[in-house]
Amino acid sequence: MDSHLLVIGYGNTLRRDDGVGPRVAARVEELRLPGVLTMACPQLTPELADPVSQAGAVVFVDASVEQRGPVRLRRLDPSGSSQILAHAADPRILLALARDAFGRAPQAWMLTIPAKELGFGERLSRPASLGLRDAVRAVRALHRRLPGRRRPRPA
Amino acid sequence: MAKRIVIDPVTRIEGHAKISIFLDDAGQVSDAEFHVVEFRGFEKFCEGRPFSEMPAITARICGICPVSHLLASAKAGDAIMAVAIPPAADKLRRLMNLGQIVQSHALSFFHLSAPDFVLGWDAPPSKRNVFGLIAADPELARSGIRLRQFGQEIIEALGGKKIHPAWAVPGGVRSGLSEEGNARIRQRLPEAFATAEAALALFLKALESHKEEALIFGNFQSLFMGLVAPDGSWEHHGGCLRFTDSTGSVIADQVEPSRYLEFLGESVQEASYLKTPYFKALGLPGGMYRVGPLARLNVCERIGTPRADAELRAFKQMGRGAVTSSFLYHYARLIEIIAGLELIERALEDPDLASEDLRADAGVNSLHGVGASEAPRGTLFHDYTVDRSGLLKKVNLIVATGHNNLAMNRTVAQIARHYVQGEDIPEPVLNRIEHGIRCYDPCLSCSTHAAGQMPMRIRLVGPRGNVLREVVRG
Repeated sequence: MDSHLLVIGYGNTLRRDDGVGPRVAARVEELRLPGVLTMACPQLTPELADPVSQAGAVVFVDASVEQRGPVRLRRLDPSGSSQILAHAADPRILLALARDAFGRAPQAWMLTIPAKELGFGERLSRPASLGLRDAVRAVRALHRRLPGRRRPRPA
Repeated sequence: MAKRIVIDPVTRIEGHAKISIFLDDAGQVSDAEFHVVEFRGFEKFCEGRPFSEMPAITARICGICPVSHLLASAKAGDAIMAVAIPPAADKLRRLMNLGQIVQSHALSFFHLSAPDFVLGWDAPPSKRNVFGLIAADPELARSGIRLRQFGQEIIEALGGKKIHPAWAVPGGVRSGLSEEGNARIRQRLPEAFATAEAALALFLKALESHKEEALIFGNFQSLFMGLVAPDGSWEHHGGCLRFTDSTGSVIADQVEPSRYLEFLGESVQEASYLKTPYFKALGLPGGMYRVGPLARLNVCERIGTPRADAELRAFKQMGRGAVTSSFLYHYARLIEIIAGLELIERALEDPDLASEDLRADAGVNSLHGVGASEAPRGTLFHDYTVDRSGLLKKVNLIVATGHNNLAMNRTVAQIARHYVQGEDIPEPVLNRIEHGIRCYDPCLSCSTHAAGQMPMRIRLVGPRGNVLREVVRG
């Protein structure tokens, strides 16, 4: 186990606001914060359970069409349900998979950003653009709160 | 009075689909249809885009098998430029495709299908999944996840990221394999081999107690199609098409993929966005054919690697001519994992992988180009027509799940005839019907170019179209 913070941004970068999660991951990566690793992917897949289990903490970043207003950061627990239907999983199922298959689920957060436009394209709507900025701030704030933040970036 | 049963949604496959089972007046199953109910229309909205953008765009068709589209699209681009790509680029593309085959097959076997063999058809649905597998055999489940991770790491080592790497381009690839990447892959190979061998042993043991399934789950005569090398050996990213029948006889051979439309027709089914290709010379329904691991092993004469060839010989003993049971897709998938690992091991020795001569450059030299590659689920065609500026005028994509459409319908009907008695569909029967579809590991994101997870619905329909029963899951 490592003490690093793992930031996983997921969504489709060709469906406008749906791609805001991977963009947050990319922005955080550019900051080169000590002790922070980032991953950007279109969806959460089972093999992510392994790196999730090795992280000190994990933040999942996703767009949310239901959400209005500011970005929202909330604690996340592993799913109690064992239902997994297809090739992709949701964050709580992934945490459960990390716990059950690899022996450990780290403390985790879900960071959601309001999404307004989901058509084809790469341009973010204004709410998602503002959400991108605020989400990066939220990750930085979380990073400051976590222990081990001065550790060098994992290789 | 004839009736129809509908299963909607189908679970543990990629995308959203439903199954209709039709009953005749005597209450017996007369037919079945697998419907894909999502639509995205990549073929249409790509019109007007430059062909050079297509690898990056079509890779977005699917988050599970983007590499397949990336490679087929790059090959179509090679044809439009009319270039022979540098040998190192071809070797690197092949390596990435092998990584894709290994990771996709691992997910299909361990995550989606093994829960049925290991936990049993009658296990509660809430347990019959990867978590149930973890509880029953944690090491198996963990190693299966890691095998998929291994395949993904090959893709990442080459393309810079696991999903949607903008790496293969018309004319070649953007970068070679670093020494570090090579060493990382090499280091994980022994574990990957051990996992594949363990999975093979598990399946062969399970087969002893699943003889009925092997007889009933999609066991029928059909044609088979796949790419083969000039000497008839297993191919995954080059070579030409071969068609065989159920006796194993070759009915068309060394067909250049660019000629696919001379051999394949496409029809449409009512109430499904999934196209229905067929072998033209035999029409419908006689022209039904299967693609993917089962077909690839049926059409090839050898694989060319020792461990996989030993298993291929055992596999071929299971059929008279061709192996006709779709339940044995699982076995074929595992053999292909072993073949993939052996070929990856061999490829890593090749100094060309670090070459800097990776890309041929040219403009539009042909207004039409076809790229074909073996995706994990079967042969994938990208067919582009462009104008003189390289802008797309027409796009035709035929994916594995489409090729297998008729066979999936037939499989569902065969299973339903055996297990469905009247209007009631108990959970274990529902699961067997779904498993018939899972044998093909369909990817509906690709087949309709649609996005999303795949819940399933089954409907039981009477002779006058009246829905008698509907089961919804997911």
